[in-house]
Amino acid sequence: MTEWLHPALIFIIGAFLIPLFKGRARQLYLLIPPLAALIDVALMYMGTFGSIPISTWHLPFMGYELVFGKVDKLSLVFALAFTLASVPVVLYSLNIKSGGELMSEYLYVGSSLGAVFAGDLITLYIFIEIMAITAMLVILHGGTEKSLKAGYRYIMWHISGGVVLLAGIIMYVAATGSIGFDAFRWDLPALYLPAILIFIGFIINAGAPPLHAWLPDAYPEASYAGSVFLSIYTTKTAVYVLARGFAGFPPLMWLGAFMTVYPIFFAVLENNLRRVLSYSIINQVGFMLCGIGIGTAMSINGSVSHAFVHILYKSLLFMSVGSVLFRTGTAKITDLGGLYKTMPVTCACCIIAAASISAFPLLSGFTTKSMVVEAAVLGNLALIFILLQLAGAGVFEHAGIKVPFFTFFGEDKGLKVRDPPMNMQIGMVIIALLCIFFGVYPQPLYQILPFPVDYAPYNAPHVVGQLQLLLFAAFAFFVLVKSGIYPTERTAITLDTDWPLRVMGAKFMWFLHEPLTNLANGLDHALKSLASLFAGYGGEKEERILIGVSVGIALLFLAFYLFMQMAYTWIFH
Amino acid sequence: MSTEIVAILAIIGLIGYVVFFFGAKEPSHQHAKLLLELFGLCLVVMVVAGLFIQWPLHFWWDDLKAFYAVYGFAAFVFLIYAAKGLRLILQKDEDYYDKREVKYR
Repeated sequence: MTEWLHPALIFIIGAFLIPLFKGRARQLYLLIPPLAALIDVALMYMGTFGSIPISTWHLPFMGYELVFGKVDKLSLVFALAFTLASVPVVLYSLNIKSGGELMSEYLYVGSSLGAVFAGDLITLYIFIEIMAITAMLVILHGGTEKSLKAGYRYIMWHISGGVVLLAGIIMYVAATGSIGFDAFRWDLPALYLPAILIFIGFIINAGAPPLHAWLPDAYPEASYAGSVFLSIYTTKTAVYVLARGFAGFPPLMWLGAFMTVYPIFFAVLENNLRRVLSYSIINQVGFMLCGIGIGTAMSINGSVSHAFVHILYKSLLFMSVGSVLFRTGTAKITDLGGLYKTMPVTCACCIIAAASISAFPLLSGFTTKSMVVEAAVLGNLALIFILLQLAGAGVFEHAGIKVPFFTFFGEDKGLKVRDPPMNMQIGMVIIALLCIFFGVYPQPLYQILPFPVDYAPYNAPHVVGQLQLLLFAAFAFFVLVKSGIYPTERTAITLDTDWPLRVMGAKFMWFLHEPLTNLANGLDHALKSLASLFAGYGGEKEERILIGVSVGIALLFLAFYLFMQMAYTWIFH
Repeated sequence: MSTEIVAILAIIGLIGYVVFFFGAKEPSHQHAKLLLELFGLCLVVMVVAGLFIQWPLHFWWDDLKAFYAVYGFAAFVFLIYAAKGLRLILQKDEDYYDKREVKYR
């Protein structure tokens, strides 16, 4: 047995070596960390470092023992998904010029791997916070004024969530005496509040409504490749920590079901394709949280496998839209259309990803989402089932039809652009092939899930039911478009739950800057003029001001004392 | 129903999905009518296949044979109308937030 190497370390050290390389050498070097990390995780599966579960890399910290490498089947699935996706995504991102952006992306990937293998709450918290900061840097590298502002809003959401999480962790550790990261307990009154605070901290990262607005706000403002990275890691790390910490937590089931339906309406109305896809992340993570909340072996298997394939097809959707953005400079539906003739590879990849996310049979979403839905059926959860199927039709609407149709078909806007450079095409094709592979032959994925799988997705009722649902939804789209009922795209934005923060928050800042500052200046002025009355008592100007201020403060205290005295008399007599 | 038939049905579904894009695009594709007829054929195949299937009876609606077809259509129409309703309240100009940004002296 050889010494275990933490995959996060490969990315984190790899990130700091990026500035040493330039040009072609950098492009070659960039592929080494993801490939090395993928091989590392594959070696873990092959038992090179001992059998699962293993637990290594301890560090003493303030009387506690930090565990950096707690490995079991659950963390390994996520690590495999993260490293497997990182290879084609990095291949896609080779054309990025900015070394700073690449470094932030590598640190971001590395810290998400660190969070996945964290064996205790302190390590987990540290890596989640590093993820928030590096993700903000990725957003800032979008390079526009919009991305600058969105990045600041992003970090405000995540620092707030981090504070809530930290408060919960401290209270939880104080109550239980252990920092170990296992399933959280909420069976004692002393554990209610800490468990709820930790839960809130996690669901902010998962993008659960109403705490989701940072996601469609920030992800579309990153660069064409930056948003591919962002779409993979933050929300899926949150799915991982929820799967470990809150499996079978009943509110999570309802939150997840609500989360699958809520973003659909916004995605239907949205004009910016990357915002449509961001809402679609929320919808898909909803399926995962719902499965975690149901809490049976099948539903958790479904959630974990759905996270695995979701990472693939969602990054592929972001990559195909990113390619369009890379070539045309826009990702708005109102500017796009008819690109299938000149971008055939991108179009084919987009359709494969769209069919996967819509859960068409023979593609990867079908073999995994159906486990969550089947778990709802077996649990006799009729309302959850109905909501999930409604969301299934909704996913098909915005991700399955809207994104490919209005980008590559639809009304031709006269844009004549080619497919993106070869490395980007290869990155997309690799993921497209993986989507098909896990759809046709899901057994390798089923074997690595946390619980043994006894489920065959390809049976007649299931295939026909799903195809009826999808094809008749497509038929409805056709009917609504032809009859003019389907809402036409406008250059507009849709307000979401961050409206109070953005409008009222701006007003509050204005209040601090203008009336409050004016009041302070006025008081200051009054005190100074008071000071001038004492001109005779001090030689220097400073002395006079000092006397004046002291007298002013004494008068204020006297007034306050009299007021309190009166209030006391008035209340108690 | 045998595995082969299930696989064939799945492939028919995928074909329906792809031809739908090319058939529904505008300005009209030269074979648009043919492609849309193909898409319609896929719809019919799915409904007919549903009649011959032993549906597992978990919920009362599993008796209805073509429940998923009706539900898919109805769900889609509901979502679009609901979104159109929301649009009246929630959709604003693109510079909505920029206008509300406070300028300090």
